[in-house]
Parts: sequence; C-alpha cells; structure tokens
Amino acid sequence: MADHTHALAVEGLTKRHGSGAGAVDALVGVDLSFARGTFTAIMGPSGSGKSTLLSCVAGLERPTSGRVLLEGTDVTSWDEARRTRMRRDRIGFVFQDFSLIPYLSAAENVALPARLAGRRVGAEAMRLALERVGLQSRAGHLPSALSGGQQQRVAIARALIGQPAVLLADEPTGALDSATARDVLALLRSAVDELRQTTVMVTHDPVAASYADMVVFLVDGRVSGRMTAPTADAVAAQLAHLDQLTGVAR
Amino acid sequence: MTALALRSLRHRLPAVAATFVAALLGTAMMASFATLLESAGGASGEDQELLIIMGGVVGGWDALIVLFSVASTVGIIADQRIREASLLRTIGALPRQVRAMIVYEAAVVTVVAAAAGAAIASIGGPALFDALQRGNLITSSSTYAGGPASLLAAAGIVALVSTVAAGISSRRATRGPAAFSLRQAEVPARGLRWWRVAIGVGLVTSGLVSAVITITVTGKSDDAYAAMQTSGSASIVVGVGLATLAPLLLRLLARPLRPLLGGSGSGHLAALNTTRRAYLLAGMLAPVIVLISGAVGTLLMVGIDSRTLTAAGDPEGVGDTITTINSVVLGMVCLFAAIMVVNAGVAVVSQRRPELDRLWRLGATSDQLRTSIVMEAAMVAAIGILLGLLGSTATAVPYSIVRHEGLIPNGQLWLAPLIAGLAAVLAVGSAWGAQRRPAR
Repeated sequence: MADHTHALAVEGLTKRHGSGAGAVDALVGVDLSFARGTFTAIMGPSGSGKSTLLSCVAGLERPTSGRVLLEGTDVTSWDEARRTRMRRDRIGFVFQDFSLIPYLSAAENVALPARLAGRRVGAEAMRLALERVGLQSRAGHLPSALSGGQQQRVAIARALIGQPAVLLADEPTGALDSATARDVLALLRSAVDELRQTTVMVTHDPVAASYADMVVFLVDGRVSGRMTAPTADAVAAQLAHLDQLTGVAR
Repeated sequence: MTALALRSLRHRLPAVAATFVAALLGTAMMASFATLLESAGGASGEDQELLIIMGGVVGGWDALIVLFSVASTVGIIADQRIREASLLRTIGALPRQVRAMIVYEAAVVTVVAAAAGAAIASIGGPALFDALQRGNLITSSSTYAGGPASLLAAAGIVALVSTVAAGISSRRATRGPAAFSLRQAEVPARGLRWWRVAIGVGLVTSGLVSAVITITVTGKSDDAYAAMQTSGSASIVVGVGLATLAPLLLRLLARPLRPLLGGSGSGHLAALNTTRRAYLLAGMLAPVIVLISGAVGTLLMVGIDSRTLTAAGDPEGVGDTITTINSVVLGMVCLFAAIMVVNAGVAVVSQRRPELDRLWRLGATSDQLRTSIVMEAAMVAAIGILLGLLGSTATAVPYSIVRHEGLIPNGQLWLAPLIAGLAAVLAVGSAWGAQRRPAR
C-alpha cells in the first residue's frame, strides 16, 4: 500500500457548498498525496479551493465525497468528536490570524492541545519547543505583549510540540510584514529539514511558496499543475498564467 | 455613521435584545414607582408620606438596581464590539466616529425600550396605587395622579444612563492602536478605573453606615418601622456596591478556588479564564450578587418583622399590609434581577463565540468547551453567592438585633440556600443555553 509512505493523501476529494442551482463546487475530485518529510505549497487564485482543501483535511469541514487518509487511515467518516481528537493529536495547525488564546501565556498556548488531551507538557519539552522558535525568554508573556511575528512563532511551537503527522499552515505569513514573514518561513523550512515534519501550506505569496519542495496549483477546485524546486519568479509566472486560464474558463 | 449604526443594529439582534429587555423592564418598574411619587403631590397627610416612602425610598432602591443593570448590560454589549471597532478604524473611521456609532446605537435602542417601558408603567402605576389603596395603606380620598411627567422622567433617566454607559464603554472599545486590537480581538485587561472603585467603595460604605444607624439610632425609635427605613435598603446598596467592584473581587476570589476545577483541559481553561479575564465574567457576576444580596437581605427582614411585630408594637395594625407590599416590591425586584442574571449570562457567553471557535479548531471537543463554560459559570455563581450573602447581612443582621433576635435571625434561614440555589441555576443554565453550538 502506497498510503503508508504518505503522511497524508486525499482521493477524489469533492466539496460542494449549498445545493440546487446556487451550489458551488469548491473542490472537484482532487487527488493528492504528501510524502513524509516534504514541504508542499498549495496555490491558486481566490476561490480556487485552497482553504477548503485544508479545512477538509483538518476535519473542520466534511467533504461531499472522496477520502482523506491520514498516515494511511481513512478519517473521512469519523464523527465530530473523533475528528477533533485527530486534529488535536495528529495535526498541527498554523493560521493566518495566529489563533492564540488571549488569556493564556505563550507557554500555556503551546501546551494547550496537550492539556485538552489530558496530558501535560514537561518543562524540558516546553523549553525545547520555545527555544526552537527563539522565544524561550517570552514563555510567560501574554499574546498581547508579543509582536505579530512572535505570536506566529508561538503558534508554530504549538503546532510542532505534539509531533503531528502533518502540519497544516493556512496563509501563515498573510498578516506579517515581509521581513517577519521570511523568519516564519525559515522556521517552517527548518522543521521540515531537521524534524522531517510533513508540511502543507496554503499561500498566495510566490516568495512563501519558494520555501516549499513542491507547489500544487489549484484552479476552480481542480489540480491544474505542479512545480518542483519552485522559485518565486517561476511561481509568479505560473500564477499569472492561471489567472488567464480562469478568465477563459468563465 | 448614523446609517451604519442602524444597519448594524439589525445584524446584532441578540445583543440588541439584551439591552432592550433591560431598559424595557427597568423603565416599567422605575416609572411605576415614579407615578406614586407624582401622585403624592395631590394627597394629604399620611397618604402623602406613604406615597413618598413607596415612590421615593422603595422606588429609589429599585432605581439603583435598574440603572446599575442597564449600565452593566450596555457595557457588556459595547465590549463585544472591540473587533468591529478596530475593523472600522483600519478602514478609516476616526475613534470619535466609532464611539458615536456605539453611543447612537445604545441611545436608539434604549429610547425605544424606555418609551415602551413607560407605556407599561402607565398601566403598572395605577395597579400599584390600587393595591396600596385596597391594602388600606392609603385612604380612598387620595386619587392616582401619575402622568406624563413621572413616566417621561423615569424613561429619560434610563435612556440617559444607558447612553452615558455606552459612551464610557465605547472609549474602551476604541482605546489603543486599531491594528493592535484587531489582531487581538481583545484589548488587554486593565485595572478598574478609579471612579468605579470610588463608587463601589462609596456604596458599600453607605450601606454599612445605614446598618450602624439602624442599630444605634432608628432601632431605638418609638416608630416600629423607623428601623426598616434605614436597614431595608442596606443590603441592596451594599450588593450594588460589591457588584461595581465585581472584576476586582472575581480576580481575588477565583484564585483560591482554582484547584476545585481540577486538572482536566476544561478545568484548566475555566481556571485561567476566571482569573485572567475577570473583567469579562464580572458582567455575569454582578447581577448574581445584587439578586442574592437584595433578595435574601430583604426577605429575612420581612420574616423578622412578621415574627416580632406584636412585641415591637403595631398600634395601627398595618403589619400584614406592609409585609404584602414588601413581598410585591421584592417579587418585582427579584424577577428583574433574575432576568438580568440570564441576560448577562447569555451576553457574556455569546461574546466568546470567536474564541470558542478558535479553541475548537485547535482540538477542544464540544464537550470540553461546554464543560469549561459550565465550570466558569458555576465558579462565578459560587463567588456571587458568597458575596451576595455577605451583602445581605447588611440588612438582616441589624434588623435582627433591633428586633431582639440576636445576630442571626430566628427563622427562615432556609431562604439563603433557596435563593442562592435559584441564582446558581439561572447563571449556569443561561451559560449552558448560550453555548449550545459554540463551534462554527
């Protein structure tokens, strides 16, 4: 079974929002697999289904049809509670808005998924997790006392500490300035290189995509192309091309 | 900004409903008492005195609870708008414009609600007057003379207080740089403002002074009801005072109680939320304190009164009637306070929807979120019960001493657990109801 070599795979993934004449197909039969220890960027114009794909993979939304396989296990039909536990235990999530809990300190935010699972994070593990993102001196600070880049690094530490099967990042640099964004991207890259952390990142930024091993382009809910060893310029050129494609399609 | 305020009203019905209900019922009660005061003008002798006491003194305590509740509800609602306020500012709205929008909205809702409340009072006022007359507290020679003046005055005061409260809260929503609060969706907690601490401490002190005066001065008076006039309001005044200080008291008192929540994920969240976000949950704590303090204090007083009236001397034989009136008034006040507990519980939990959604995305199960919210509400209820019972002693203890029952009243002590239980059920129940579907 090829599945076992993949941290994550989706087969025939379709997601339809609404019904009848007003129905919108966000994803149409998407097949993708993500090998362990790889960094993949998902790109495409607005409305191409990037974020829906991530939501379906994370169990935030249930696909209309198709399968999501996490480490070879079909999680598609799992109920709400089971998908929540999967998200907590097997998936690390980094959001554009950081999604830190405002009344928890940096360290408490990092420890939160484990606490929700009824576990505690040891002092040494916490020290290492914060050290990895360069925030060991900020453990006790509340998010309001941290800069945007620091908050996103806390969120990355939170996503990594559980050694998830896959780290999903939804526009992780969307709310950051370009210098801070580069730090955050370098951090994600180092997690892939040093921890062999499988990472899937949705982005619209060609520079961000250039940190990945491979770029998958989505157009109108379908995979329209792939690029390995991407550079920012090549990605930008391809995106411009995709915009033309969607223009023709409509 | 006016058009924006009106449009935004339509999109935030639950929040608008909370303000509307508080202002409607509050005005209905306040204006009913105000008509008695207006009727006193045309009455003579003892009738006039009684109408002034009912309208002015009893109505005054009632007004205190009403105005506090309206201001507190408007405050909770304005706090919900920090993110929206920041959003408007990032697209170019001046803080002044955003504040104007929040104030204008509160003003529109409360003016409409207060007008409707005054209409209810135009029926409630005569009914109250009629009850007093049938109870022989006032003679049949006096006639009801409540009119637009008292109704409008009460409605105007409610609308004014609500607008001023919105003005104060709107400053909180527009403080600090826009982008910062947009990212946080929450302005970092800060201590209570000095004027709020001053008001709280002032109210508690004045309640305690009433208690001391009851024991040392009015309790020794020949008039059996002199003591009731000074001690009756003490528990309400102390209760409102403690409620004004609620954020501070919650932070202090929740800390030692934290271990009770246990080490589960839900308990962990509830423990940190109650202490670090005391200013938010204080909106829920305040009406619980007022309800318990006012209800337990006054009910115990009425109980003591009916047991000891004969001994204290009741030359005019009005004891039963006064008990009846006390019960009616108290029933209204309790009902109002109970509605405020539910109102605040729902508003506070609804405000947290984005945060609950965030926790769900991070892997908190719906059960965990539910448990966490219920634990918080239970903690808030427990602290509210403690503070409320403390406040109730400001009325019960002096009155008990004056009527020779000692420090602790001789009977009806079951009232305390009964009302406390009721308040706990309301607080936890409303939080439970509001969280039904926290995720998405």
